[in-house]
Amino acid sequence: MPAIRNQIRELRALREMTQQDLADQVGVTRQTVIAIEQDKYSPSLETAFKVASALGVPLDQCFQYDPRGKR
Amino acid sequence: MGTSLSYREKTLYASLAAELVVYGPYFFLHQQNSVNKVAGMIFAIIVLEIILQLAIAAFTRNRVTDERDRLIELRGYRAGYLTLASFMVIGLGMLWFHATVGHLQLENRMVGLHFLSVFFGMLVLADITKTATQIVAYRRAL
Repeated sequence: MPAIRNQIRELRALREMTQQDLADQVGVTRQTVIAIEQDKYSPSLETAFKVASALGVPLDQCFQYDPRGKR
Repeated sequence: MGTSLSYREKTLYASLAAELVVYGPYFFLHQQNSVNKVAGMIFAIIVLEIILQLAIAAFTRNRVTDERDRLIELRGYRAGYLTLASFMVIGLGMLWFHATVGHLQLENRMVGLHFLSVFFGMLVLADITKTATQIVAYRRAL
């Protein structure tokens, strides 16, 4: 399990938001959103806050840290 | 949703293709190098890169680059630097060996070209390593 996990895909689906919509709001590429959703990339704190803000949730509802996870 | 290539990935694939097309024959086909060939290749890679990058820019609507692109770029440069530094150490070691222990016999007029070929080759390999590392980094977890 990765050290930093996220609920972006689920939160995005609830809002019927596409990956491109989220990418445009955050200012990253769609490929980066895909990489974050697949736990292949841990974003910077600034981007994490932007993602949470775009999804309208607090940061800890969007990203969770598992100290036993690998990364 | 599929993972189509980003603008940066497209430019990287184009760069790698250009490098392999231009530099490949230099290493595998030509036995006799010359200053003109090296200069010709440098000119060819510049022209080919400009054409490819312009074409990609023209046909890609979304040309956003972000923090992940910059991180991957840095990783590529690190790999390229390590490759270049390693080859430099090996190359200088071999030069020292040939100059002291071995019997390197080169005509005076060929020494400069010999050095040019070797160091140009190191630069090319470092550049290809940099580009290839970036391409792989886009496909793997960071």
